[in-house]
Amino acid sequence: MYGPQTLTCKNLQEYLKSLSRDILDRLYNHPATCLAVFRELPALSRQFILRLLFVNKPVAQVLLASWIPQHDAGRDVGDIAAEHRQGTQVLLDMCIWQEVKDQQGNMAIRLSSTFRENLKVAILGGGRPWTMSATLDSDPHQRNVEFLDKYAMDRWESVLQFLVQPGRGQKAISRDAMRTLLHAGLIESSGESDNMQITSAGFQFLLLDTASQVWFFILKYLETVTERGMSLVACLTFLFKLSFSTLGKDYSMEGMDNELLTFLQHLREFGLVYLRKRSSGRFYPTRLALNITAGQNKGIIDVPKQGNLIIETNYRVYAYTTSELQISLLAIFCDIEGRFPNMVVASISRSSVRRALLKGIGAEQIISFLKQHCHPQMYKLSSVVPRTVADQIKLWEMERERLEFTEGVLYKDFMSLHDFNLLSNYASSNGVLIYSDERQRTMVVTKKGHPSIKTFWKEEQAK
Amino acid sequence: MVNVMKGILIKCDPVMKQFLLHLDETMKLGSKFVLVDLDECHLFVQPEVYNSLKNLIDEQYEKVYYNQKSSLE
Repeated sequence: MYGPQTLTCKNLQEYLKSLSRDILDRLYNHPATCLAVFRELPALSRQFILRLLFVNKPVAQVLLASWIPQHDAGRDVGDIAAEHRQGTQVLLDMCIWQEVKDQQGNMAIRLSSTFRENLKVAILGGGRPWTMSATLDSDPHQRNVEFLDKYAMDRWESVLQFLVQPGRGQKAISRDAMRTLLHAGLIESSGESDNMQITSAGFQFLLLDTASQVWFFILKYLETVTERGMSLVACLTFLFKLSFSTLGKDYSMEGMDNELLTFLQHLREFGLVYLRKRSSGRFYPTRLALNITAGQNKGIIDVPKQGNLIIETNYRVYAYTTSELQISLLAIFCDIEGRFPNMVVASISRSSVRRALLKGIGAEQIISFLKQHCHPQMYKLSSVVPRTVADQIKLWEMERERLEFTEGVLYKDFMSLHDFNLLSNYASSNGVLIYSDERQRTMVVTKKGHPSIKTFWKEEQAK
Repeated sequence: MVNVMKGILIKCDPVMKQFLLHLDETMKLGSKFVLVDLDECHLFVQPEVYNSLKNLIDEQYEKVYYNQKSSLE
C-alpha cells in the first residue's frame, strides 16, 4: 500500500527469525533463552518439541505428519494443514530444528542439539543454576514492590517526556538513550545538531501501551549494541534471565563482566532495573523487565496502572491527572480547554483529530489510546469509548482517504485476447493483479509482482 | 507488442475521478499527470505526483469544509 508508514513492532518470534543462524545457535546455549522461546511458540510446535526432546536420531517427516489427525470433527482439512505448515515452518525459521536425510534417505527432522540440551535443563532441572543468583546477605536498603513500580514508571516517563518535548527534557535522558531514539527513527535532528524533533513514528510510539513501548525500545536498542562493541548474545541472554526473575527481590552483580555492567547501567536508565548505587553490588529488576519477551501478549506491566480519562458522547474528555506527560499526550489529538488543579478538560474536534492525522497517527491508534487510559468507571458502559466518538474519529480519517493509491505496473495493447487472458490469469493466480479490463485489454499488477510476470511473459514468448 | 508503464493506480468514486481529470486538464500540478483513464473509478497516473496530489486534495477539501467553530468566532 502507498501511504504513511505505520509503526510496526515485531514480536519475539519475528525478531529471532531476523537473526542469523550463528547468533541463534549461541543464544540457545542457555536454558533461560530456550524456555522463553519455547513458551512463545504455537501450541503445535511445542507439542513437536516435547515429543522429540528425548529422541537423539533424526525423525522422518512422514512420522511427524502422522501425529496430526487428518480429520477432525468441526475443522476444515485446509485449516489443519495450514496449522501444520505454520508449526513446522516456525521451528525451521528459528533454527530449532533442521531438515536432514535419515539412513533410508527420507526427509527427516533433527532437533538442534544445543536447544535440546538446554531446554531439558530448563524443564527438568540439573546443570548449573541458571537463574541469577540472589545475594546471600540481606540488603540494608531493602526496596519493596511499590517503590520499584514508582521508580520504573518515573524513569520510563522521563523517556516519554523527552519525546513529547525534546527541547525541554534534554537533560533528563542520557546521550545513549537519545541515540537509541534517533536510531529507532522516533526523533530526528532538525538543522542544528542538538535540536531534536519528534517524528510521525514517535507520535505513534507514544500512543502504544507501555509493554509494547518497552519491547519496541529494547529491540531498537539491541540493534545498536554491536556498534557499541557489546555482544548481542550476552545482552539477550541477560534480558531473558531478567525476564524470569522475581519482582521485589535483589540479585547479585557478582561475576558480571564490564560489558554486562554497561548494559545494566543502560537498563537502569530506562527503568528496567533499579540500582541504588553503581557500586552497590546488587540490583532489583522492575516490572518493566519482567516478561519483557511476552511483548503485547500479556499485560503484566499495565496491571497496577489506572486510567483516568472520562469520554463523553459530546466529544468532551475529562482527564483526572496532574501528569505533565499525560496532558501533552492528550494535546496531540485533543483541544485542551481548561486546566484545573486536579483535572483537565479537553474536547475532540475535527480539526484536533486532523492535526493528529497529519502527523501520521491513525484513528485506530487514537481510539486504542483512549481505551487504555479510560477511567474504571467507563468500563461499566457497554462500549468503553462512546461509539459516536470512535466512529466519528474513524470517519474523519476516511474522509482524508478518498483516493486509494497502489503503486503498480500497467500492461496494455495486447495483440490478442488470448495473450491478455494468459497473463491476467497468471497474475491473478499469483495474487498480484489489482486491475483488469478485458474489453480494453488493460491490466495493472503490483510493483512487487512485476518481475515474475516479466519472466513468465518471456518464457511464453519463447515457446 | 505489449506496452508496459510504471505508475500509481488510483481507485476512487466517479466524482473524485472527474475532479482529478479536471486537475489534469487545467494543469494544476504544473503538468499533465494522468497516464491512462481506465474506467469510471480507476485512473493510472504518474508516480511522482503522489505527494503533491494528496496535499492539493487535502487543501481543496479544507476550503469547502464548513467549520462550525471558526464561523462562530
